[in-house]
This record gives sequence, C-alpha cells and structure tokens, in this order.
Amino acid sequence: MMKPLLEIRNLHASISGKEILKGINLVVNAGEVHAIMGPNGAGKSTLSAVLTGHPAYEVTEGEVYLRGKNLLEMDPEVRAREGVFLSFQYPVEIPGVSMVNFMRAAVNAKRAHEGKEPLSGRDFLALMREKRKMLELADKLNNRSVNEGFSGGEKKKNEIFQMAMLEPCLAILDETDSGLDIDALRIVAEGVNRLKTPENASLVITHYQRLLDYIVPDFVHVLADGKIVKTGDKQLALELEEKGYEGLAG
Amino acid sequence: METIRLHTNDSFEKVFVNGPEVDLHIVQEAGSRVKIHVINVSGLVPNKAEGSDLQTVSNKITVEQVGEGCRTEIYGLAYIKGEEQVTIETHVTHAVEDGTSTQLVKFVLDDRAKGHFVGDLKISPDAQHVEAHQTNRNLLLSDDAQMRTQPQLEIYADDVQATHGASTGQLDESALFYMQQRGIGKEKARQMLVGAFMKEVIETIDDGQKTKDALLSSEPFKSLFF
Repeated sequence: MMKPLLEIRNLHASISGKEILKGINLVVNAGEVHAIMGPNGAGKSTLSAVLTGHPAYEVTEGEVYLRGKNLLEMDPEVRAREGVFLSFQYPVEIPGVSMVNFMRAAVNAKRAHEGKEPLSGRDFLALMREKRKMLELADKLNNRSVNEGFSGGEKKKNEIFQMAMLEPCLAILDETDSGLDIDALRIVAEGVNRLKTPENASLVITHYQRLLDYIVPDFVHVLADGKIVKTGDKQLALELEEKGYEGLAG
Repeated sequence: METIRLHTNDSFEKVFVNGPEVDLHIVQEAGSRVKIHVINVSGLVPNKAEGSDLQTVSNKITVEQVGEGCRTEIYGLAYIKGEEQVTIETHVTHAVEDGTSTQLVKFVLDDRAKGHFVGDLKISPDAQHVEAHQTNRNLLLSDDAQMRTQPQLEIYADDVQATHGASTGQLDESALFYMQQRGIGKEKARQMLVGAFMKEVIETIDDGQKTKDALLSSEPFKSLFF
C-alpha cells in the first residue's frame, strides 16, 4: 500500500507552556482536499505553525510523517523543500528584498535539495511570468519588495503565486479567504484548484464555509479545543454554517 | 583634520571605504553640493591587502553651510563583527537660508562589535527655509553587540522642515520564518535581510557606478546581494 502523504499521530503542542493541540490524528492521502474548520482559539493556526516548524511552538507528544519521513525532525526550510507549503494568514512584508530575488532563492533552494541545477535567469523569469498570469498579478509587483505595500487581496494572490512557483506536495491554506472580496476569492480559489494534481494534497484551514464553495473538500474536520471532534464530507461544512459550532453535538 | 572650502556652485563627492581614519571639515559657499559616504565593512576583501582593520575606526565629517542654497548629503554604513569598533560622527550646520541636508547612518553589529553614532544638526536663527533630515538605523545580530546613539539637534529657526529618527533593533523573526517556509536556508535568509537593510545606503552611491559595483562584487557583499 502507498504511504499516506501526511500522517499525524496523537500530536500535542504548546506555546509558552500552554497546551493548544491536545492529540490530533489525521491522515491525508495524495489527491485529497481536507478542510479543517473550527471556532477561534480551537488550534487551527497552531496546527499550521507546528506542521511548518515555527520556533515558538513546542511539540510535546506525537509524530508527523510526510511521505513516511519524520517531519518533526526537519528544520523549517527542509520541510518546505520536501514540499510543505503554507499560505500565511498574515503574509509578512520584507522591505528591501525584491519578489524576484526572494522567489529565485526559494526555487533554487528547492532545486538544489532535489539535486537539480539552478534555473537560468531567463528560464526563471519566464516561469515567473507564466505563473503570475494565472493569478492575475501585475508585472510591476516583480520588482517590489516582498508583500510591501500590497493590498490584502494582492498579498493572498501572492501567496498562491508562490505556491504555483514551488509546486508543493502539501499546501496548507491558513484562512486564505480572510480579507478577500469575492473577485479576489474566486481568483485565489481557481488558482488553488488549477494546482491540484493526483500527487498533491491541500489542507484548507478556515473559519467560514464560504471558501469551500470554491475549493470543494473531500473531507471536513471540526477542530475544537485542540482535538478533531468530528469528521465528515462537505455536507458537514454546510451543517456548521447553519447551526454554528455551538450546535455541534460532539 | 583636513579642511576643504567649496566655492560657489562647486561639487564634492567622495566615498571612503574602510577608513581607516576620516576627519574632514567642509565649508560650503552658495549653491555648492556635498555628497560623502563613509563605509566600514568587516572583512571587505579588496581592502585586506592594505592591512586596514576596523579595530577602532573613527569617521568624522563636519559640514558648514555658509552660503545659501547648499546641499549636503552624508551617508554612513558600518557592518562589523568580532571586537571591532566604529564611530561615525556627522556634524551639519546650516548658518544661512535655503539649504538642504541629509544624514543617513546605518550600523549592522555582530558578535561583540561596538557602534557609536554622533549626529549633530544645527540650524542657526537666520537659516530659514532649511530642509534637514537625520536618520540613524541600527541592526544588532548578536546579544553582545552594542550600539550607542547620540543625536544632537539644535534648531533655532522657526520656518524649517527638520526630521530626526533613530532606532536599534534585531532581524525580523517573522520575516526569517517566512523565508525559511519558502525553503530559503536560515543563514541565507539572514544574509538577504542584512543586505536589504544596507541597500538603502549603498543605493545612494552614484560615482559612475565604479565604487558601488566594486563593493557589491566583493565579499561579504557578494553573498548578501547574490
């Protein structure tokens, strides 16, 4: 049998001594889209931070495997090169670092990890142009500093643009719909859908059902107080929308 | 101390790279322009042969605008490590009307390096319609590095535009993590952020590109800016 793309076993994690994740179990296979829903403070963003190796969080128990490799032993940059990508809820502005230099460093770091030669300047710029078009991102953003002065919508499109450039096997979308108007939401969701292949998977973290009208999940998990309390198909998201998290009987 | 007198509409431009000692006094007559860079970079390869080390370097630039409509730009940069110590002093005096001045000084301090900035800005009572800016930004890469900043502003004219800002901080941890999440190694990410911090000063060099190109293509800049 094929190894699952992502396997989370009894994951516990804390920040500043406070336990946030209290035993998460989740298996994600290639080709699947999983939605993680839940009220504020349930641990949704903590889960994405822990999977990507954010230094503020401490894993106190449990295991995480990416294609059978121990993810928790890897530095954040190695996890990224192995194909874990996080679309940040709040993309960071980096004054003085241009999108071009930033993206070239990222793409070539991944290629080096895979034993490939760095892309030539010309091939790299052609790739940037092609992917930018998909997200309807303006060319002028190329020479601007990373996320600096971008509108909320541009920042989120820029996240999905970077995802298109890096072609991750596991994309974690953390509240990607927050702060987006309906047009930006459609463009972002179309981008995500076009990047879907039988070999990769997405973990869509969201508070609202809205995004799931566009990115249709195979599974919906409800996270509450650091645990997955319910799993279903896309109907579960609609149910939550109607009844709210309160109305969910464990 | 070396004194230079700039006559009407004269122009003076100079880039000092790794001192060792700079002590320059410039008097500006009407319409003259000054643009000076003092740059001190630890381990800068082209300068190694000259044996200049940065153990204790002092750069002092004093400029007096005595004629109207002068322009003064002073840029300082220090990127030092180990036990190195660099002092950059800038003294700008506007004695008459209609002048402009910019002082932009940045320090990047690693290990136990010590940086010291003294920035003087004087605007005399008669020096109306002056525009003067002083900025000092510092980046500490280690807990043991030390920065001392002493801005001194004396502004006696009332119809002037004068700004002043000083800050000392560390590398932005959230930017570092964001870069690592895209696969960029931590050390490379640090270098890119340090380069981005220094770029604002380097970009102001325009001596037909020669000094800028030489700087950017030598270590340690080469690895900071690709």
